[in-house]
Amino acid sequence: METQTNAPVSGEILDKIIEKHRGKPGMLLTTLEEAQEKNPLKYLPGETLAEISKKLKVPYAQVYSVATFYSFFNLKPQGKHSIVVCRGTACHTKGSKALLDDIEKILGIKYTGDDAESSYTTPDNLFTIRTVSCFGQCAQSPVVAIDNVIYSNMNSRKLLKILSNYTLSL
Amino acid sequence: MEININNRPVQVAEGTTVLEACRSAGIDVPSLCYLKDVSHNASCGVCVVEVKGAKSLLRSCITQVTEGMEISTNSPRAMLARKVNVELLLANHPQDCLICDRNGSCELQELSHALGIKDRRFVRTRKGQLKKDETSLSLVRDPEKCILCGRCVAVCSQMQGVKAIDFSGRGLKSKISTFLDSGLGHVACSNCGQCALVCPTGAITERNSVSEVWSALQDPGKIVLVQTAPAVRVGIGEAMGMPYGSLVTGQMVAGLRRLGFSKVFDTNFAADLTIIEEGNELLHRIKTGGELPMITSCSPGWIKFVEDFYPDLLRHLSTCKSPQQMFGAVAKTYYAEKTGVDPRNIVVVSIMPCTAKKYEAKRPEMDGAFHYWKEKLKLKDEEHFFDVDFSLTTRELARMFSEAGINFSGLPEERFDSPLGESTGAAAIFGATGGVMEAALRTAYELYTGKTLYDVNFTSVRGFQGIKEADVNLNGTVIKVAVAHTLKNAGILLEQIKNGTSPYVFIEVMACPGGCIGGGGQPIPTNAETREKRAASIYYEDDHKVIRKSHENPEIITIYADFFKKPLGEKSHHLLHTHYREREY
Repeated sequence: METQTNAPVSGEILDKIIEKHRGKPGMLLTTLEEAQEKNPLKYLPGETLAEISKKLKVPYAQVYSVATFYSFFNLKPQGKHSIVVCRGTACHTKGSKALLDDIEKILGIKYTGDDAESSYTTPDNLFTIRTVSCFGQCAQSPVVAIDNVIYSNMNSRKLLKILSNYTLSL
Repeated sequence: MEININNRPVQVAEGTTVLEACRSAGIDVPSLCYLKDVSHNASCGVCVVEVKGAKSLLRSCITQVTEGMEISTNSPRAMLARKVNVELLLANHPQDCLICDRNGSCELQELSHALGIKDRRFVRTRKGQLKKDETSLSLVRDPEKCILCGRCVAVCSQMQGVKAIDFSGRGLKSKISTFLDSGLGHVACSNCGQCALVCPTGAITERNSVSEVWSALQDPGKIVLVQTAPAVRVGIGEAMGMPYGSLVTGQMVAGLRRLGFSKVFDTNFAADLTIIEEGNELLHRIKTGGELPMITSCSPGWIKFVEDFYPDLLRHLSTCKSPQQMFGAVAKTYYAEKTGVDPRNIVVVSIMPCTAKKYEAKRPEMDGAFHYWKEKLKLKDEEHFFDVDFSLTTRELARMFSEAGINFSGLPEERFDSPLGESTGAAAIFGATGGVMEAALRTAYELYTGKTLYDVNFTSVRGFQGIKEADVNLNGTVIKVAVAHTLKNAGILLEQIKNGTSPYVFIEVMACPGGCIGGGGQPIPTNAETREKRAASIYYEDDHKVIRKSHENPEIITIYADFFKKPLGEKSHHLLHTHYREREY
C-alpha cells in the first residue's frame, strides 16, 4: 500500500518510476505520466520536473518543453474532480458555451480562459474545469466529461443534477 | 550536377541544399529561421521556392538538389507565399520598430521592407502581453518580439551545449522559455550571448548600460576610465559602417576621448598581465605536481559553464582573473595610488565583445580593490565598489558613438594613455581562438627554458578548427596543449579530463565561436565571414607590433617593479586571482 500524502513524487518513489521506464523509447513521457499519476494532486510540481531532469539527464528546459507541450500534463495542482467541457465546433453549435456558463454559476466561479488550452481550479481544490477542442463524440454533442466519465447530449438540467451529486456529497 | 535556377543553368555539388545552391549562384532567396551551420528548423516558410514537378512549394533550406531540378525562386506563387508567411509573422509582432534596440539591424524589418509589405492584413491572435525576462545580468529577452524561429534554441543547444532555453507550450501559447519560465538569471545560462547574435529580431538583446555610463561621464566628481578588449578594435568599425574586420584601434581611442572618458586605457595591457600570472601559474603547477591540465580562465561564459555543469573540475581552471577584472583591480589600486586619486571616485568602464562580462563584473568576489583600500581609507561597507563598474558590449559603444554624433571613420588615429595602455602582440591575439595559448607559450617558453624565443608564431594553435592540439617543445620537454572554442567543444575536452584520458598539460577555452571576435557582444552580423576577417586583422596587429611577448611590455615590467613585486605574489593573490564555486539551481 502506498501512503497518501500531499508530498510531491520524489526520491525513491521517483527512482522506481524511472527504473521502470529507463532505456525505453519515450521514457521521459512515460516517467512524467506516472509521476503525475502518483502525485495526490495529479500534477507535476517544479521540483519533480527538476528531479526528473537530473535523473534522466535530460536538460531542464527540454523537460519543461515536453511538460508544457502536452495538455495532458498539469503544472498546477488539480482539483479532486475534473470537469472537461468540449468546445469543438459541433458541441459549440449545440450550446457548450452555455454549459460552461452554467458550471460557473453552479460552482460560483468565474472561468476566464475559454480557449482549448487552459484550465481553472476552484479555490477549494475540489473542481478543475478545462475545455478541449474535440472529444470525437460529435454525434452526441454537447459532451462534458466529469471525472473521466463522458456525458453526452448534455443540457443545463442534466448538468445541474450531476454536479449537485458532487457538491451535495461534499 | 547541373540544375536550373530561374531559367539559368547552374553547376552544384551533390548534397547541396537548394538554398545554398541559389546563394552560391548569386541568387538571393530570403530566409529567416535558417542560419548556416546553426539552425535549419524549416519553420518560417520564408525560403520557399517553386520546383517543377513538385506539388507544393518547397522549403529551400532543407531540400537537397537533384539532377536536372528546375527551380524558380521568384515565381508569382513563391513570391506570394513568402510574403504571406512574413505577414503572418507580423500579426503578433509589436509595431515598435522605431524604439527597438534592433531598429536598423532587424532581419524581420528588412524582410518586411524587401518583400514590399505595406499594411498589416492579419490581426493579432495572441492574448495578453508576454512578460520580459530581465532576470539576467547579461541579457534581456522580450518574448513579444519573438517570431519562434528557434535560432537561439539551436545555438544554445547545438553550438554551446548549454540548453538553457527551449520551446514551451503549444500553438498560440508557444514561446521560448527557460525551465519553469524562471528566467535566464535563474537557470544554468552561460551568458555567452550567442542567442542575441543569432536572433533575427529584438527578442534577445544585451542588458543595456549606456545611460548609466553617460551619467558617470557627466558627473564632474568622477574620473571615468575606459578599457577596450582586444576584439573590440576589429569589430567596432563594422558597427560604424566600415568593412568587416576593419582594424580601427587609433580611431576607437580617439572616439572614446571624444565621448569624454578621462583616460583611455587598454584591456590588452591587462592581457599581458594575465599572461605573466597565468604563465607562471602553469609552470608552478608543472613543477609542483599541481592540478593538470590547467585551463585558461579569460572567458566568463566558459567559467560559468564549468561552475554550472562540471563543478568537480573547477580546480583545473587557472585562478587568474580575466583581463577585464585584472584591469579593474589594477586601475583602482595601482593607478589610484600612482595618481593620488580616491578610488571611490574612479569609475571603470569596459568595452567588451561580450555579454558574459556584464555578469562577471557583478560577481560578488570581484571587489579586490575595495578590500585593498578598506583598511587604509577606513571604508564603510556601504561605500562598497566593484573593480569594474560598467561593462558595455561593442554594440553599446557603437550606440554611444552614434548618440554623440561622432563621425567615426573621419577620426584621427590616437594612442592609448599611459600607464595602463601599452600592450604587445601577444595581448592582441587574445581576441582570437588560440591567441591566449600562443601568448602564454611565448612567455612560458622563455620562462621555462631561459632562452630567447626567436620565432614567436605558434601557427598550429591558430585557425577555426573546433579543437586544435599541438606538441610544444620547451627545449627538450614536450608538452601537449589543446585549444577549444564554443562550449560544446570545450565540453568534449572536459569529458576527457573526467574520464582520465586527457593527454594535455594546458588547455585554452573560449566560449564563443572563433574566440572573442565572435563574442555575443559583437556587431551584428557576426558569422563565419566576419569572424574570419576580424581574426585576420587581429593577427595583422600582432605581426606589426614591435614587442610580441607579454613579459617584454615595459609597463608590465614597471608594474611588477613598483607594485606587484613578483608574479603569484601576495598582492597578485588578492588582486589578480580569484576562486570559483559550484552553482545549484
